[in-house]
Amino acid sequence: MPNKNEFDVIVIGGGITGAGTARDCAMRGLRVLLIERHDIATGATGRNHGLLHSGARYAVKDSESAEECIRENKILRRIAANCVEDTGGLFITLPEDEESGYGLDYQAKFLEACNKAGIEARAISPREAIEMEPSVNPSLIGAVVVPDGSVDPFRLCSANVTDAVLHGAKVLVYTEFLDFIREGDTILGVKVLDTRSGQTAEYRAAVTVNAAGIWGHGVAAKAGVNIGMYPAKGALLVFGHRVNNVVINRCRKSADGDILVPGDSVTVIGTTSTKVPFEECDHMEVTPEEVKLLLREGCALCPSLASTRILRAYAGVRPLVADDSDPTGRSISRGIVCLDHEARDGVKGFVSITGGKLMTYRLMAELATDAVCRKLGVNKSCTTAQTPLPGSMDGRIENVSKRFEGKPTAGQKGAAGRQGDMVGKILFETEADKQLVCECENVTLAEIKYAVRELGVSNLEDLRRRTRVGMGTCQGTLCIGKAAKALAEALGKPELAGKLAADYLDERWKGMRAVGWGDTLREMEFMQRVYKYQKPFSYDEV
Amino acid sequence: MQETNISTKNFEQCQKCSLCETVCPVMANNPKYGGPKRSGPDGERYRLKNGIFFDDSLKYCLNCKRCEVACPSGVKIADLIQQARIDFGHKAPKLRDVMLASTDQVGPLASAFAPLANFALGLSPVKGLMDLTIGVDKHRTLPKYSAETFVHWYKKNAEGSQNKFKKQISYYHGCYANYNYPQLGKDFVAVMNAFGIGVQLIEGERCCGVAKIANGMIPAATRDAKTNVDAFYRSVKEGRDIVTVSTTCTLTLLEEYPELLKVDNSLVKDHISLVEQFLYKGIASGELKPVWKEGWKARAAYHCPCHQERLGWGIFTTELLRMIPGMELVELESNCCGIAGTYGFKKENYKVSQKIGKPLFDNIAAVAPEFVACECETCKWQIEMSTGVSVKNPVSILAEALDLEKTAELNCR
Amino acid sequence: MKFDVIIIGGGLAGMTAATELQKSGLKCAVVAEGLSLHNTSRKEFAEAGGTLLAGDRVVSGKLSSGKLLSVRTEKLGDVELEAADFVLASGKYFSRGIVADMDKVYEPLFGLDVEYDADRSAWFDASFAAPQKFLEFGVKICNCHALKDGEEIINLFPAGEVLAGISCAQGDATDRIRSSAMDAVSAIRRK
Repeated sequence: MPNKNEFDVIVIGGGITGAGTARDCAMRGLRVLLIERHDIATGATGRNHGLLHSGARYAVKDSESAEECIRENKILRRIAANCVEDTGGLFITLPEDEESGYGLDYQAKFLEACNKAGIEARAISPREAIEMEPSVNPSLIGAVVVPDGSVDPFRLCSANVTDAVLHGAKVLVYTEFLDFIREGDTILGVKVLDTRSGQTAEYRAAVTVNAAGIWGHGVAAKAGVNIGMYPAKGALLVFGHRVNNVVINRCRKSADGDILVPGDSVTVIGTTSTKVPFEECDHMEVTPEEVKLLLREGCALCPSLASTRILRAYAGVRPLVADDSDPTGRSISRGIVCLDHEARDGVKGFVSITGGKLMTYRLMAELATDAVCRKLGVNKSCTTAQTPLPGSMDGRIENVSKRFEGKPTAGQKGAAGRQGDMVGKILFETEADKQLVCECENVTLAEIKYAVRELGVSNLEDLRRRTRVGMGTCQGTLCIGKAAKALAEALGKPELAGKLAADYLDERWKGMRAVGWGDTLREMEFMQRVYKYQKPFSYDEV
Repeated sequence: MQETNISTKNFEQCQKCSLCETVCPVMANNPKYGGPKRSGPDGERYRLKNGIFFDDSLKYCLNCKRCEVACPSGVKIADLIQQARIDFGHKAPKLRDVMLASTDQVGPLASAFAPLANFALGLSPVKGLMDLTIGVDKHRTLPKYSAETFVHWYKKNAEGSQNKFKKQISYYHGCYANYNYPQLGKDFVAVMNAFGIGVQLIEGERCCGVAKIANGMIPAATRDAKTNVDAFYRSVKEGRDIVTVSTTCTLTLLEEYPELLKVDNSLVKDHISLVEQFLYKGIASGELKPVWKEGWKARAAYHCPCHQERLGWGIFTTELLRMIPGMELVELESNCCGIAGTYGFKKENYKVSQKIGKPLFDNIAAVAPEFVACECETCKWQIEMSTGVSVKNPVSILAEALDLEKTAELNCR
Repeated sequence: MKFDVIIIGGGLAGMTAATELQKSGLKCAVVAEGLSLHNTSRKEFAEAGGTLLAGDRVVSGKLSSGKLLSVRTEKLGDVELEAADFVLASGKYFSRGIVADMDKVYEPLFGLDVEYDADRSAWFDASFAAPQKFLEFGVKICNCHALKDGEEIINLFPAGEVLAGISCAQGDATDRIRSSAMDAVSAIRRK
């Protein structure tokens, strides 16, 4: 009987890279432990555009990244159908781009580079572009169609974790890495803290993988290893609905606020890039200047954004590997960095996987797992590029919706879109199960129960990442109370409801404060009214 | 920034306050209906993503637009729902729906055979048959068709004398006054003439299309709309504004044409007014001078039709009726009568329709007026069928209360 | 159309003032965009003979030498609503009685003087449960009169949440709203 605290590999970090690595390792037959100090997808994984890059963005400057992107793009469409939406993308050229040297000459160069990298790109006329995406800036002078799409990072991360578990991996969330267990120059395992119970524990494995994103810098430091990292903050804005149905990019050198992505029921504009100190990475706030900048640039892509309601703002930190010679961080290759610290630093049993991007997580996981297998002397090849993720076996919502008896309700269709072919596990047993808890995003009580049962949820934030509860236009104003009660009951701790609601309200409030004017401020007043005024609506007295 | 919103029908202005749900007459009576918020702005966000999120239950919306009156954020909730039905509800309309909706095609036929048609429509085995075959509820008293249409009467009796008036308007009579209740048209002409105003018909007038829109016959409704707008434009160019008698027709001409049918009415919009609004403004400004019958007295209850509430013009009717010296007017509480055009005629809606109307019927019973004053023809059917109290159009009330001869003397000098 | 008093807004403050004034014999009209009033108060006002313009909203007003002469609404078009006195009970942000954009807070109908903090970072507390400064913003009054560029508008009486210092988050919000409405009522009755 093997010790329950012993594994072949420990993966630190429950972002997409860690989740993908855990899945790959588990699929290759290794005994895996994944530890994450918060919930899955809480770092940069959950704080980006959700853009399924075609690679076109990198084609001119970084053909290696571009080729990686388009390869992974095609793979993700296959293995993660339920997380990916094939929206298509446009790279538009505006009149003012001529003046800055990114006019139609640049477009020609861009097209050539795309095709060289294997990205199917073709130029279309401004009129065709407007037909394809009516919200696009009508003053455009040129456009290129590329196979961009959108990807739901929460769903993708969750599906990887679920599959890792199905392949025998152990996943511990709210488990913080404290230090390594070390003997001489060999890493033997990790000491961790269960942040919910306050208990510490030790786990051992022949190899530990550092997949902690920007926090990987600190993890590596505990092993006495330096990874020169560059924390680049990226701020984004979420608009209240899908303004565009096609990804819109600016055809020029990468700059702030030049990508507009339709994702699920919203549109996201991003991003900025500013270097921030490591100690700020845990407390990102979006500044008014960033909001102004994103709105200005967003309006250049799609003028109607000027009057579209903003739901909230958020920011993530990219784990870029630093190049001290460039202060903007833009010219750093988004390339993957996989470090075997035995070869690099003489520290045995320790691998770091960093750099890269959401798009290439699978490849990063493959490289990290290859490194792990080499160390363990395991000779198994990677199959993640061929094996669909849970939920994505039959991922099209049209197909999944047919599984319900009779006509599917809004809540069932919503669940089908989010959970894909896992939807059969959502049990609509009673009338109450069918009732919507979150009306903006069509989340039923049954889906909440499913998330608690199967997807490792312990608070409303976790629940949001699995089900979109509270992510709609009211930002939870109408559902937080109901959701907190449902979650607390599903967790078997009804007394927790108040605390769950209060924590989630603070989190929603944070994202709204940054854009607190106009209609967002109306909603904020309404939210205060609902939760503080003893009679939120005068019609309650009727 | 962000002062205005230009999203379709303002759907993203929705703050989820749910006030619309508290006034929706269907939601309270039909558990299958998700309600205005979910069917309208909430649903719209998801329909933008994928048409699969269109929900069949949107057909239960009766388009009374009470949700729009209640909305503090200016969201055109009912329009969103109608638009979604147009865009995603692809099923071909049933024969029954086509028959109910084609008021200006069935109308002429029925009028030609009016005695037969009315006999047939009133006879219970026939009504039972309609119940089974085309799904018009057998409890329904179907609107009677008149033997002589208003237009026929007008051409025979009124047309010749209209040109003597200095001031001229064009009368959009609509299907109801033409086929079902020509007396309303006759009253209209009498009142207008008394005020010294000549009444002309609108050449090429077509049905406003509201029933066609409700029953998914969009191409036909759009054709009618274009014909009407062109006809209105000719009238306006000739110096005659358009005066209407039906609140629902008026709302359709003014709002649904551009919103749902994408027919531009901007050149004629400001020249269309509802008769009560037209007369109120004329009398209030002193331009029109009424002489009331000595000793005319009535105790009436005013029911404001849902579409009149949406237009926001009920005040013109009440202020106008209160100008009548012998009028004791009680305003009924704001409620939907439940019929909503062709909605209540459909078998599947009959029970809900009567349930919706109950608070209004009870209110009328409690007030016990001599008659109910109401601008809407379908409300009239529903109220008369359900309460037995007669319903009079304000124009007909004026025709009774005015001393037409003395008014004419005063205004035609 | 002529009334004694026009009340802009049909929420708690507007209906309280309207019903009181109507009952004291003044001819009142309430312009209420959206249904923020509850049925009971609506019924009471109607029974007292008041006029309710439901689903309509005031879009502009005619000001002349410190007095408001009339207002226009969206639905009534060129028919002006004239009155001797006006109650502004248009609420806060939610009902658009006051509007915030990125850098400022203003009263959209008449451009009345508004009390607010120019530094937007001071508007909010990070904790949802804590008092929020933005809810305290609103129009200023002097002798119950609205102020525009520091001058009193002598027949325009703001009441309820449109006022600075009254907010839905206060424990005694209902009382404060009612009492501000009664202040406006007394000031109108005194005239």
